Order: sequence, then structure tokens, then C-alpha cells
Amino acid sequence: MPIIDQGYQHWSGRLAGHRWRWLAITRHGVKIAMRSYFLRYVLLVAWVPALVLVTTLSAWGLLERKSKLARIFSQFMQFMNPGVIADPRHYRAEVWRLAYGYFFHVELFFAMIVILIVGPGLISRDLRVNALPLYFSRPLRRIDYFLGKLGVVGTFLGMVLIVPAVIAYIFGLLFSVDFTVVRDTFAILVGATAYGLLITVSAGLLILALSALSRNSRYVALLWLGLWFVGGIGSSVLSAVHQQQRRYVYHPASALRVAPPHRGAWGATPAVQEPAVPTSRNWRALLSYTANLSRVGAHLLGTNTAWEKLSRLEPTARGRRSLLARFGGPWYPWYWSAVVLAVLLGLSLCILNLSIRTLDRLK
Amino acid sequence: MSDNPASILFAMEKVTKNYGTIIALNELSVRVSPGAIGLLGPNGSGKTTMIRTLLGLIRADSGSAQVLGIDVRREPLDIRRRIGFVPEDECLFPGVAGIEFVAYAGKLVGMPAKDAMQRAHEVLDYVGLTEVRYRKVESYSSGMKQRLKLAAAIIHDPQLLILDEPTNGMDPAGRKDMLALASDLAHHKAMSVLFSSHLLPDVEAVCDHIIVLGAGHLLVQGDIHELKAAHQGGFEVRLKEDGASFARYLTDLGCTVQRRGDILLIQIPPNSSPAILWRAAAVTGQQIRHLRPQRSTLEEVFSNAVERSPCPL
Repeated sequence: MPIIDQGYQHWSGRLAGHRWRWLAITRHGVKIAMRSYFLRYVLLVAWVPALVLVTTLSAWGLLERKSKLARIFSQFMQFMNPGVIADPRHYRAEVWRLAYGYFFHVELFFAMIVILIVGPGLISRDLRVNALPLYFSRPLRRIDYFLGKLGVVGTFLGMVLIVPAVIAYIFGLLFSVDFTVVRDTFAILVGATAYGLLITVSAGLLILALSALSRNSRYVALLWLGLWFVGGIGSSVLSAVHQQQRRYVYHPASALRVAPPHRGAWGATPAVQEPAVPTSRNWRALLSYTANLSRVGAHLLGTNTAWEKLSRLEPTARGRRSLLARFGGPWYPWYWSAVVLAVLLGLSLCILNLSIRTLDRLK
Repeated sequence: MSDNPASILFAMEKVTKNYGTIIALNELSVRVSPGAIGLLGPNGSGKTTMIRTLLGLIRADSGSAQVLGIDVRREPLDIRRRIGFVPEDECLFPGVAGIEFVAYAGKLVGMPAKDAMQRAHEVLDYVGLTEVRYRKVESYSSGMKQRLKLAAAIIHDPQLLILDEPTNGMDPAGRKDMLALASDLAHHKAMSVLFSSHLLPDVEAVCDHIIVLGAGHLLVQGDIHELKAAHQGGFEVRLKEDGASFARYLTDLGCTVQRRGDILLIQIPPNSSPAILWRAAAVTGQQIRHLRPQRSTLEEVFSNAVERSPCPL
């Protein structure tokens, strides 16, 4: 029993406007999600690639300045073409692009895991416990509700994708001590941020749409896994079949030939079916959601352009082709993937619009 | 009912809402003054649709509505800032303690985080959940959940509190507590209450005014005491014995006699006085044990209103 029972007191404070109302939902969602030990562990692990990125950019800065410390790192750069090491400033933008490319390649995996942990329950739990009246009987619009929920996914993806990318950029600048770095690499920062936002919005809305389809979070998690893995596996299988078929079909413009083992400046190349020209019409990767994200990301970060520039260091045409085949790509037009992502985005919005229709319905 | 806008809690003017072929509200017009208002009606009468219309959650097909002088269609968000709503369903944000639940409700309305937490403690004290405020909401009993929803609804000190079937599924003690809280808010805390319920004794315990809906129409509206006023020329009589001869005698004199259990409900002719009852008792040799002017119960008011409904319910 309280010592003093005050009874009911009137409240005369001021209520905030509607503009940032969604933030209350985001804060609450983040607070609830952060109670998961597993999520905290994944977030911690997801920062390891960020440390690698920071180290790479910092090391490159030291290499450009010909710092003594750079000698320590140069041992780990033996796999690189000597021409790149010899003139690090000339290849600065390319190295940064590729470092960011590999960073996002790994972080995309962690982003999918984070979404798998955080996303499925965002709307489905509200549907299961019938919490929508609690939201919509208050001064909240549907857009506030969706933004608030998207904000939860966005916060965690931002922690995994955008924040490390920006921090790594700052470290890269600090270790370069050269203002031309900003000129050379600012587009990379913009591209990295845009790519992080693309993943956040696309994957965030997609998981919200899936979450709105079921009252059971486990089913939503399975749907997400299905979308992630089944699409990826399907894409890989079809691509492999396509490669096999191309072995037996002669086409003067894109003939395949089996290349013997070759040791180039970028390391040993195994005997692979090497495309004579990049397979720019191979649409099979479009089946994979993450491959589509990666393709648009490659465009935003300019990784293919970077590989093309680095391939010019190869003395032979075959070496160049080999390098591009191993590291570059995919080579189909990036806007194909952008269209696929746009369609998925539209579909997600449609599902959300149809599933969460405030309370204007009969029970 | 006064026409002064300041004295009107809410008003609906020929509001119609259809869900496909189902007419939920049928040109409903109603004006209500601040106070404790009971909303009655059989299932499907349009109570929930009316509440949702007042909250601005649904858009009426035609007609207009105002709550606290604000147009529902134009400024639904502004209305919801001034209203507290306790939904019928068991709906709780899962995975949070009671105090977090209530504070979160405050933040959703737009209260600053610090104020919301402080006020959450106050309203939880008020509804009697002080001791369990740090427990997860999933572990609350039905009565506690209802009181928690009430606390979440009043955290921002609304001008109008809407309670949709607040005592459903509650044990007698919990129901009594809930009714006491609703009545206290309505009568001592200057908060208007719209109390929707099937349970007439609950409505009677909290409200001063009722609205009875049927098939989307307004059937009856008025002050409970006025609606239960003494019937002109109607009396309740209980006799020591069966009283068949007594009833027959009065019928012969032009009275209408109905039996309800051991009570006779007698309507005497307009130009007669109650003295004919005593004369009838003397003539038929009956002892009158109980005699009083007939008053309707709320149940009768409700039943008569529903029976008089022009539309099939």
C-alpha cells in the first residue's frame, strides 16, 4: 500500500505534435529487441567486418604516406598486384571501392540475420495480441505505425551497415592526412550510405509485409528464410545449368573455352570455364533477393569499374578476362535488379496497405 | 439538451455507415451533453461502429459528427488526443511490464518520456496496480488487464473516456472495482464517460444518461432517472393471497392488470384514483402487503425500446 494515496490527479502538460510520433514506436521496438542476448551477440559479431574495413582504409592511408607502420600491413598485401602497391595514391579510389564492396558483401549476410531476429514479430505480434486498437485509438496514422516499425529495422541495419561505413570513412580520412582523399572518395561515402539505405528500406518493408501476413512470428521467420535461401539456391542452380549449357553451345560473340591453370599477378587461377566476354545477359541472379541488392550495391559503390581499372595492370588480355571473371561482376545491367527491387517494394507496400487497414472493418 | 456547442460532448447528424450490404449506422442523429453516458443496444446494433466513428477511426458514408466541438472527419487525430479509449478486446503490447505499457501509451499520445513515466506511476496507483507495476503484462489477471487498459487510457487526462464492454469476463470483485473507478472518474474527476455495455446493472451503476441503439438507429435517449420515472396511474401491488378475484374485479372497473411473479402491475383508468385498489381489496377480501407507484427498471426501458424499434433487430 502506498504511504500517501494521491488519488487521481489532472495532468496539464503539453502533448507533442504528430510529426515525430512514429519515433515513440521505434524507440519502444528497439528497447524491446535489445533485450535479446542473441541479437546483441550478432550485432557485436557484425562489427568485426567493420573493424577490418577500418583497418584496411587506415592501412591504405599509411601506405600512401609511406609510413613505417605500413610495412607491417604490406606483408598482408602480397596478393595484390605490385603495380597497385607501387602507386597507392593512384589506385586509392579503387581500393576504397573494393574494400567497401567486400564490407557490404559480408554485412549483407549479417543484415539478413538481424532482420531475421528483429523483423518477424514487429507486426505479427501486434496482430496476435490484437494491439492495433491500442495504436489506432491514439493520435497515430497508419503511416506513423509503419514508419515506427520500419524505424526499428532501420535502427539495427543502420548500426550494422551505415554507421560502420561512415566511421570507417572518417578513419580512412584521418589516416590519409590528404585533402584530395575527400575529392577521390566522397562518391564512395555517398554510394555506401545510399546502398545502406536501399537495404534498410527494401528489406525493412519486405519483412514488415511478411510480418503483416501472419499472426505467428515463426511462420514469418520461415518465409524470410525461404525468400533468402530458396531464391539464392534457385539462382545458383539455374546459373550453374546455364554455364553447363554454354559449354556446348557455340556462339561467336560469347564462346566459352576451358582455360588452363594460369598464374597471374592476382594469384593462381584454377581451370575454369572462363567467359570470353562477360555474360551481360545472364538474368538468373535476378531470382535471388540478396543478389539483386548486391548488383545495385555494386553499381552504387562502383566495384565493377574498380576491377576494370585494376585489370588493366594485367599484361595479357586473357589475364584481364580471368581477373574480371573471378572478382568482378555480375555484369548484367544493374537496373534489372533495381526493377526487381522496385517491384518487391511495391508489393510490400500493397500488402501492408491491405493487411493493416486501421479499424475500418467489421470484426 | 442544450444547443450551446460548449455544452455538447458529441453530436452526430444523420450518420450512415455501411459495410457492404450491412447497415451499421442508419442516419443516426444524437446529441449528448458531458457526463456519464451509457451506450446500450443488442449485438449488431451499431455501438462499436458509433464508438469508432467518434474516434475518427472509420469514415462515415454520409452525415457529420463532432466530438468536443471538433469535426471527426477533418481532425480525427486532434480528437484522439482528447479521448481515452478502453477497447473491448484483450489487447496489450506484449513483453513489457505494466509500468512500461502505460508509459508507452502516454508516449504514443505525445507525452514527453519523463512525464509519461511519472504519470504512469500516478495512474497505476489510482487504478490499484501499484504492487504489480513491474510485472510483465502477460502475467496479469483479466481484472488487472482491464484496469491496466484503463490506466493507459487516462494517462493523458482525456476529456472523454470511452469504455467498450469494460467488465466483460471479470469476476465480481474486479467488476465492482472497475465500476467504482469509472463512476469516480465520471462523477468526481470531471471526465465524461461513454460506457458501452450489455450489462444493464453496470450501466446503471456508472451512468446518468443512456443512449439505446437498435439496427443503427437511435431508439431511446435520456436521463436514466427520467426514463425510470413513475408511470402515470401505474401501481405495483402484492397481496397476501393469489388475488385472482382482485384482478378480475379491477379489470371489470376498466383497469389493466398484469402479473409479474407475485406482483400485480395495475394501470388504473385516467380519471380514477388509487382508492379503487383499496376498495377492490375490501370487496374481494384481500390483504394488500405492498403498494407503490410503478417504476420501470432499466431493463424494461431497454426492452421496451428494442420492442418498439421500427426495424427488425
